[in-house]
Amino acid sequence: MKRRSIIKGAALGLAMIASPVVAQDANYTIGVAIPAATHGFMGGLNYHARASIERLEATYPQLDFVLATSGDAGKMVNDIEDMVATRNIDALVVLPFESEPLTSPVQAVKEQGIWVTVVDRGLAVPGIEDLYVAGDNTGFGRTAGEYFAKTLKDGDNIVVLRGIPTTLDNERVDAFSAAIEGSGINVLDMQHGNWNRDDAFDVMQDFLSKFDDIDAVWAADDDMAVGVLEAISQAGRSEEMWVVGGAGMKEIIKRIMDGDPQLPVNVTYPPAQIATAIEMTALGLVSATPVSGRFIIGSQVITPENAEKFYFPDSPF
Amino acid sequence: MTLVLQADGIIKRFGPIEVLHGVDFDLTAGQIHALIGENGAGKSTMMKILGGYLSPSEGQLMLDGVPVQFKSQKEAEAAGILMIHQEFNLALQLTVEENIFLGREKRSGLFLKHSAMRDEARDLLARLDCHVDPRTRVGDLSVSDRQMVEIARALGRNARVLIMDEPTAVLTNRETDMLLDQIEQLRNAGTAVLYTSHKLDEIRRIADLVTVLRDGGHIVSRPAEGFSENDMAVAMVGRELSDLFPAKAKPQEEVVLEVENFTVPGRMENASFRLHRGEVLGFAGLVGAGRTELMEGIVGLRPATGSVKVMGNPLQQGSVLAACKAGLVYLTEDRKDKGLLLGKNLTENLTLLALDRFGSLRIDKQAEDRALSQAIDDFDIRVKDREMNAGSLSGGNQQKLLLAKVMLAEPEIVIIDEPTRGIDIGTKQQIYEFISALAAQGKSVIVISSELPEIIGLSGRVIVMGRGHIAGELSGADITEDRILRLAMGVGEDTKETA
Amino acid sequence: MSKLAKSSPRKFNLHVLGPLLALVALILLGASLNSNFLGYGNVTNVLARSAFIGIIAVGMTFVITAGGIDLSVGSMAAFVAGVMILAMNALIPILGVGVPLIVAGMGVALLAGFLAGFMNGFLIAKIRIEAFIVTLGSMGIYRSLITWLSDGGTLSLNFEARSFYRPVYYDGIWGVSWPIIVFAAVAILGELAMRHTPFGRHCAALGANEQVAKYSAIKVDRLRMGTYVLLGVLVGLATIMYVPRLGSASGSTGVLWELEAIAAVIIGGTVLKGGFGRVWGTVIGVLILSLIDNILNLASIVSPYLNGAIQGVIVILAVVLQREGKSAK
Repeated sequence: MKRRSIIKGAALGLAMIASPVVAQDANYTIGVAIPAATHGFMGGLNYHARASIERLEATYPQLDFVLATSGDAGKMVNDIEDMVATRNIDALVVLPFESEPLTSPVQAVKEQGIWVTVVDRGLAVPGIEDLYVAGDNTGFGRTAGEYFAKTLKDGDNIVVLRGIPTTLDNERVDAFSAAIEGSGINVLDMQHGNWNRDDAFDVMQDFLSKFDDIDAVWAADDDMAVGVLEAISQAGRSEEMWVVGGAGMKEIIKRIMDGDPQLPVNVTYPPAQIATAIEMTALGLVSATPVSGRFIIGSQVITPENAEKFYFPDSPF
Repeated sequence: MTLVLQADGIIKRFGPIEVLHGVDFDLTAGQIHALIGENGAGKSTMMKILGGYLSPSEGQLMLDGVPVQFKSQKEAEAAGILMIHQEFNLALQLTVEENIFLGREKRSGLFLKHSAMRDEARDLLARLDCHVDPRTRVGDLSVSDRQMVEIARALGRNARVLIMDEPTAVLTNRETDMLLDQIEQLRNAGTAVLYTSHKLDEIRRIADLVTVLRDGGHIVSRPAEGFSENDMAVAMVGRELSDLFPAKAKPQEEVVLEVENFTVPGRMENASFRLHRGEVLGFAGLVGAGRTELMEGIVGLRPATGSVKVMGNPLQQGSVLAACKAGLVYLTEDRKDKGLLLGKNLTENLTLLALDRFGSLRIDKQAEDRALSQAIDDFDIRVKDREMNAGSLSGGNQQKLLLAKVMLAEPEIVIIDEPTRGIDIGTKQQIYEFISALAAQGKSVIVISSELPEIIGLSGRVIVMGRGHIAGELSGADITEDRILRLAMGVGEDTKETA
Repeated sequence: MSKLAKSSPRKFNLHVLGPLLALVALILLGASLNSNFLGYGNVTNVLARSAFIGIIAVGMTFVITAGGIDLSVGSMAAFVAGVMILAMNALIPILGVGVPLIVAGMGVALLAGFLAGFMNGFLIAKIRIEAFIVTLGSMGIYRSLITWLSDGGTLSLNFEARSFYRPVYYDGIWGVSWPIIVFAAVAILGELAMRHTPFGRHCAALGANEQVAKYSAIKVDRLRMGTYVLLGVLVGLATIMYVPRLGSASGSTGVLWELEAIAAVIIGGTVLKGGFGRVWGTVIGVLILSLIDNILNLASIVSPYLNGAIQGVIVILAVVLQREGKSAK
């Protein structure tokens, strides 16, 4: 429980300070529905969800949690319905698997008077949720883009690895493109690496065959960055280019901390946002603190100087 | 009577090989026209051309005097021409009723009229004196019942021309009688029938006109009246047939196979018998008496209890491989489904059982090639092309290939189940000669057959089975059709009672 | 078969040559789009990355030829990789970083693959559950197990062990990297086994007609189980080549490999319902699939959103080209 997240400092601080003032008789049950841990980022998110639940249950004995991880949107809907029907939840924290299919089930939950916190991916209809906690996809792309624009010269060449084709990926890439516009940087090619190490490795190998001169790579995700770095090292072109990943995987942060010239910076997109959301929801139930509204966690640049603050060796991500 | 379907100068080539050399064949309403010939003579091809499954390379088909070309079997069927196959065209997973009405279901609006279809199916089957429930899955029926369903299906379609490819090959005598009656009724109602069979007595009984094919050529067409069975056989084979069955060899004293208290649960019980070196032992009985099951149990194809000794050594049960290694092989009655890989070439079929003789790690393909040449010579297998698939061989040649396959394992004891089912008379004779030659060489043979003349002609001793038990044993002069039948039916005086 | 070509020179046979033509066409297309396509680096990349699926697909050829199917190989590969990494990390204090550690890791991978294949084979051949169901089940089981083992994240091989093991993917002899060598060896042995050994012949017989196989004294159960065990061991072998590449395994390792392997087998001319298989065709199928990705990356002529569609079209085309021979059945 020494593990502390800077990003959610504000909310957590509130929670800790406003710690159990009134020992209420009422018991509360909070349902948490998140996608299953199928890749690194979600793995981290699952880790943070479980860690914060453990911590909150220790701190507030009157709180009960139901955690469900779902492999697809349909399963998530079923899980939520089960929580409402059999566990009588007082609040729901949900990271919608997909926006559209989850909108009306979550709305139905809300209509029963249950508190709803939506995390990361918004619902298709605005205003259903009491609390919205999310990372900043536009900011994520823009921050990275700004770093590229600032660091590279006019006429330098970069390649981009995109994620799985989704709105979220589009937002990031659009913001990135906007941020480097006018800087004279050439984007040689963009291909989907699907936030997957193996796919990114293959795509980067092909980029390296195709282009003789690459100055930098925006890998947009640290899993992809791992594959990209390996492909570059295989080609013996480590000196030629640097790589910016994203989301702050511990191995990558460690290398930034150690001053690896290939990894100058990273951009956060914290999996810990789920912890923020759960903690704020819990706080809203057990105390009178007003927690509703929108809570956007900005993307920050991790540099060798501040990297230590973002390094969680226990997290799987 | 009017000519319905007429074929003039039909020539058919498969690639460079010509299999029909200008055959004429007419079908007249209200007449049964038999098409006979040895396996490989071109009967099947001719029937497929008439049925719309194949189109002729040259020559003309005329329907009601008008030239026609069937692009598919569907067109022929639409014109009222229906073919009943030797290999059934039934969907095994569907019920009898569904099969009979497949593709022409009775319906009202979107829904099927089940009861109407069931009633009609029952009527059609009743006309054939076949009393299976229309709701039974075809896969659960016996082979003979499937044949009846196939015929009922054709009856239900009011065929003008009915082409029947050996419909009685798998039927018992009683069923055959019933079927022949039906065919005669159809003729009297004005249907033109093309009938093939290897059983010349049937041809004699129902055909009005007989056409003989040999090696793809048209030999003769003449009225059945005054066309004796012997003349037919001579026309088919192209030479005089001497006595069909060779002389019986005398068995030796040594017991090579000893079976005691053998039971295949649910199929047959408590069988004990012995087989001597150089003996041909016949197993007679009605279909379903448990003969096949007993033999399959002995060679390890079915779970069974009891003791089996080969040359005095106990045989490991449940292992076909162990039986084969001990010198005991079984030749299945179902050569298409259990005997041969129809989609594979001759070599792969030939050597499958005895593959370990061609190298344990690497198959010696040259040796395989030599084995095929040898088998073709030894068993007189007529192949058009050494790379052809086993499925393209005629029935008789498939049976010879299967024999060759089994003999490649150099067995001491051969169990042959229905050695000549669906095979022409010339090939039959060859197989009979082969069986008695085996016995003469000191091998031992068990023959299971539903054709009594075959059992009587080949065996020195006959074991008769009925209802899952050994009903009795006959030898020497006691082996007569009458005594076999009485034993098979349970010594009853009334021979009408059947299984 | 080889005699056939000599004795009866057949006319141009699309059925046999279809996949080969598709491969040649892809190579010509790639070469015309990018001058680096045929360069040493790119050829090595494509072949090396084909190796994992290729090794697995060779095993899959036998399973499919014998009338089976295995949907679990992708998950199995991820699971075996995870077990291998955990075992190697755990063995470092005992064995130190060196050849013994690598050999031990390889042994663990092969053993895990063997056991996983044995489980599938046992349930299918002995307990007689449909192969589709068994392997669908084990697909889910292995996928969950790897996610659980990695706690939803990534299992990484110890850094020093990784550096030591890395050459197994990246180095080779005479400029040919190990995965390519191993893939080639597996393919050649597989082709020999399929065409020239009783095992291959028996697999085809079993797939063509189980009854005939049984009546021909073939130990059907044992043979069927053998194909799954062989596939499991080859999955282990592929994992041995995979782990040194990125030194990690996670829940997203090997996703959809099973379908790529099955697709490669079918593109290569093996009959999906069994009875006929050819290993060289499978190798071509794997190369076709890898080349499509490679060319799309190198050329960027179409929107990357359409990559899947183009792959689909080429896969279907490659199979359509073979139809001529089969429809004459």
